[in-house]
Amino acid sequence: MTVKGSQVDSEFLRLEHLSKNFREGPHTRTVLRNVSATFDRGEFVAIVGESGSGKSTLLNLISGIDQADTGAICVDGQDLAALDERRRTLFRRRHIGFVFQFFNLLPTFTVWENLLLPLELNSINGTEATRRAQSLLDAVGLGNRGDTSPDRLSGGEQQRVAIARALIHDPRLVLADEPTGNLDEETGHQVLALLDRLTRHASKNLILVTHSPEAASYADRVLYLKDGRLVDR
Amino acid sequence: MSIGSLSSRVGRDDFSPRTLWNVGWRYLTRHLWQSLLMVLGITLGVAVVVAVDLANASASRAFDLSVDAVAGRATHQIVGGPQGLDETIYTRLRRAGTVEAAAPVVDAYVTSPQLAGRSMQLLGVDPFAEQPFRSYLSASTQASAVQLSAFLTEAGAILLAADVAERNGLEPGGDLILNIEGRQHRATLAGVLTPTDRLSRRALEGIVLADIATAQELTGRVGRLDRIDLILPKGGAQVAQVQTSLPAGVRVLPVEVRTGATRQMTAAFRLNLTALSLLALIVGMFLIYNTMTFSVVQRRSLFGILRSLGVTRLEVFALVLTEAFLVGAAGAAMGLVLGVLMGQSAVRMVTRTINDLYFVLTVRQVPVPSISLLKGGLLGVIATVSAAVPPAREAATVPPRSALSRSNLEDKAQQNARRAGVAGVATMLAGAATLAFPSRSLIVSFGGTFLIVFGFALLTPSVTSGLMRTVKPVLERALGVLGRMAPRDVRKSLSRTAIAVAALMVAMSVTIGINLMITSFRQTVIVWLSDALQGDIVVSGPTGSGLQDVTPVDPRAEAIIRDHPDVAQVDLLRSATIDAPGGQVEIEAGSSRDYGYGLRYVASDRSPKAAWDAVHQEGAVIVSEPLANRLNLSVSDTLSLYTEEGLRAFPIAGIYYDYASTQGTAIMSLETYRRAWDDNTITALVVDLAPGADPSQVARTLEADLASLQNLLARPNRTIREAALSIFDRTFAITDALQVLATVVAFIGVLSALLALQLEKQREFGVLRAVGLTVRELRGLILLETSLMGAVAGVLSMPAGFILALVLTHVINRRSFGWTLQMVVTAAPFLQAIAISVLAALLAGIYPALRMGKMAPADALRYE
Repeated sequence: MTVKGSQVDSEFLRLEHLSKNFREGPHTRTVLRNVSATFDRGEFVAIVGESGSGKSTLLNLISGIDQADTGAICVDGQDLAALDERRRTLFRRRHIGFVFQFFNLLPTFTVWENLLLPLELNSINGTEATRRAQSLLDAVGLGNRGDTSPDRLSGGEQQRVAIARALIHDPRLVLADEPTGNLDEETGHQVLALLDRLTRHASKNLILVTHSPEAASYADRVLYLKDGRLVDR
Repeated sequence: MSIGSLSSRVGRDDFSPRTLWNVGWRYLTRHLWQSLLMVLGITLGVAVVVAVDLANASASRAFDLSVDAVAGRATHQIVGGPQGLDETIYTRLRRAGTVEAAAPVVDAYVTSPQLAGRSMQLLGVDPFAEQPFRSYLSASTQASAVQLSAFLTEAGAILLAADVAERNGLEPGGDLILNIEGRQHRATLAGVLTPTDRLSRRALEGIVLADIATAQELTGRVGRLDRIDLILPKGGAQVAQVQTSLPAGVRVLPVEVRTGATRQMTAAFRLNLTALSLLALIVGMFLIYNTMTFSVVQRRSLFGILRSLGVTRLEVFALVLTEAFLVGAAGAAMGLVLGVLMGQSAVRMVTRTINDLYFVLTVRQVPVPSISLLKGGLLGVIATVSAAVPPAREAATVPPRSALSRSNLEDKAQQNARRAGVAGVATMLAGAATLAFPSRSLIVSFGGTFLIVFGFALLTPSVTSGLMRTVKPVLERALGVLGRMAPRDVRKSLSRTAIAVAALMVAMSVTIGINLMITSFRQTVIVWLSDALQGDIVVSGPTGSGLQDVTPVDPRAEAIIRDHPDVAQVDLLRSATIDAPGGQVEIEAGSSRDYGYGLRYVASDRSPKAAWDAVHQEGAVIVSEPLANRLNLSVSDTLSLYTEEGLRAFPIAGIYYDYASTQGTAIMSLETYRRAWDDNTITALVVDLAPGADPSQVARTLEADLASLQNLLARPNRTIREAALSIFDRTFAITDALQVLATVVAFIGVLSALLALQLEKQREFGVLRAVGLTVRELRGLILLETSLMGAVAGVLSMPAGFILALVLTHVINRRSFGWTLQMVVTAAPFLQAIAISVLAALLAGIYPALRMGKMAPADALRYE
């Protein structure tokens, strides 16, 4: 486990004894086994593991998209297990930003509309919404592409829009699931640098799951996930 | 099919049909809901077409059998005026030896409590002259010699088909009561006929056979015949020879002239039903087009991969069409079964309408014609495959490896929406031009109507897009973020949403159109009844409707009625069917001096009073609108009718609105009628009561007073009006049923479209859930989207339905039946259409909303 860069002062996220199984026909596959970890405020942590090691599942549990079979997740003092599905969703809406491997921009919306979506859900409209959207679009270098449809952008550009979307509603935690997995090496580095810069600039917590040690090198700390367990290298 | 398995085939020259078959089959089975809904849509469409076709074919066949049962193999008939012929004409004809085959006939409608009260046809024949005409009395069918002897010699002896007798528990030698023209007669079943062939058995179903002398006695027409059947060779020489030997007022007519006009009358009714049933199939075609398009857009990338691996455009095209064929065949097969089941009630409804409006079908049970099944099956398959051609072409044009992006597709849909809008307006104009074309062809009229409806369907995408832009700010204010997202989603998925909206719109516009037409028709009939119904009470025979009564009434009835203290005035009425060069014409001859003053005229060159005075003083007639249309008559023309003195032209003083018959009616004074036909029969008495008298009370008393003379009905004006309206409502029962079915097909279309749409958007919903949309909000979003689609369909269906109502009311009805209807517009059908559209769309959205709400966002995000 390594720590570099900024000063950490207090605990932001705690995972306690998380386990997750999936039913596959008559069999049960265990994806996460007794995972425990803590994350400090403002920290950028990379979770590295091979395909199928349970990285994305762990991210889904932290975001509340999925639920653990056992264990607890506490985000900034809020125990997610204590929230019902609706309140978990509202928590996610307000406090979590997501960046996916396949971008997951809505294909029928323009870049601008995709960007505004989290703001709309948080009832932030009008001038404030426009200001934030324009500022972030400029920050990701796509200031003049707001009216474009996502599928007319390159992969790197789409991921930059996804990063802007993940940050626009000022969440406390940004979760990035293999954000460079679908990009070439150079574009991947550009995207990671951008993600690192924007989250650090806004003092966000960032958890990046990746199979790439190069991508993980941007993080303050790296955790390794193997066969569903967090291990030291 | 996985990409891996496809890739492994690279290098082969072509794809085996088996591989492609797997691509199609796996898609159909993996999207089972979609496939089942598609099959169900076709099933219902085919079932409606088959049911109506069966009903029409059965009615037509029943008509043929009824005619054959009575006319047999006759080529011509000798007929007289409304009182029939003197029987000596037959004797003279036989003696002269002019014709080889001639048979006298007396016929009348008869009911019997021993025959379950069913209306049957009494056929009085001469057994010795029958053999060339009808086979009932041939060696293979006839009763025993003893029974035949009884049939010829005993008074009141009749014969029935063996199964009719058996069904009603009658045995040879048994007595039964026959009600003929309001009088009861005792008859004896002399024997039973057992025809060996099925056709004769069916024909005999509705026949009570009697010797000619017995029939004359039973009907009170001693010495008279209704007609003489003849078999004459083709060519006019012998016809002319027979004609010259006949006295004035008696004519030889080909059988088709008499039966053809009746057949024509029901043809329009049946064509209307066929058009309505086709409408259900067209809505079904929308559904198929819709679903096949979805199945193609969902697989664009798969088709792109297939193309890159060497599958030709033609093979992709064939793949989609093969899928459509399979779905069509499955739907058609199930549709045939359902159609036959539904056809049984449709047959009942159609037969009842024909009995109410046109003539009594004595044959009611006919087999399912295989041609109807073949037509229905083929239509289902062809409709499905044709509806799948545009999506199949779309699939074939997917470029290899570079499947068109969704935004490009939607951009294309937006551009197409504008083009479709222009094409829609052009199509509607073409439809209007077709309708304006001065043709009486119903096929042309329905063609024009379909073009208009199709034009509205083409307008749907642009209107949907426009309306969504308009409602967005309003909904945003009312519902916040969901109100902003839902209209945007509908507009931005136009390639998918517009088709579903169009299908629902078509069904709803048809609902509005038919509803308004029926409301207008009903209202017109109500107004007309208040003009046309004479007096306070109508006294007539038991078989009439009160509007047209044909049973002769005992002349002594008049005096009995006049003696009633509450009766102020009695007018006499004679209804008769008279032969004319253009087919038969209903005649209403009345003694009332002022009846015509209150009639509404379509056309007249004088005032209603002057026109009616001309009827009484100058021997003129006024003709109903359908008759004027049928015989192409105008006010300055004359109406030619065969009278006792031969063909006579009656001047036409006016054309009046009338909805009693589609064949058409001519009104004349009783005096004119009696002079022309030498017939003093009356068929109804119209009674005006003294002020303050209770019509129901007086009617009951009159019926009792008249019972000793004849079984007559005294019906207050209000009862007749109610009976007429109940016949009206029965007539439109099948229309209502078809309309409901078209809506059900549309509902399935919307359900199928929405399911496919939501399935396709699964990943998008996953993203929305990931960024914080709650389950409730997601469900709300889906339901709001579907409601908006329903509302657009409802809104668009209002002008479409109104125009359809105008066309149905003013063009189709006029061309079908010759009736001018007053258009009545009420809010109810429009509100109902909006409510049904929104409800149907909302219901269709419930399942996807529940399903999406239940799905874990993580699963939805994994969905490809």
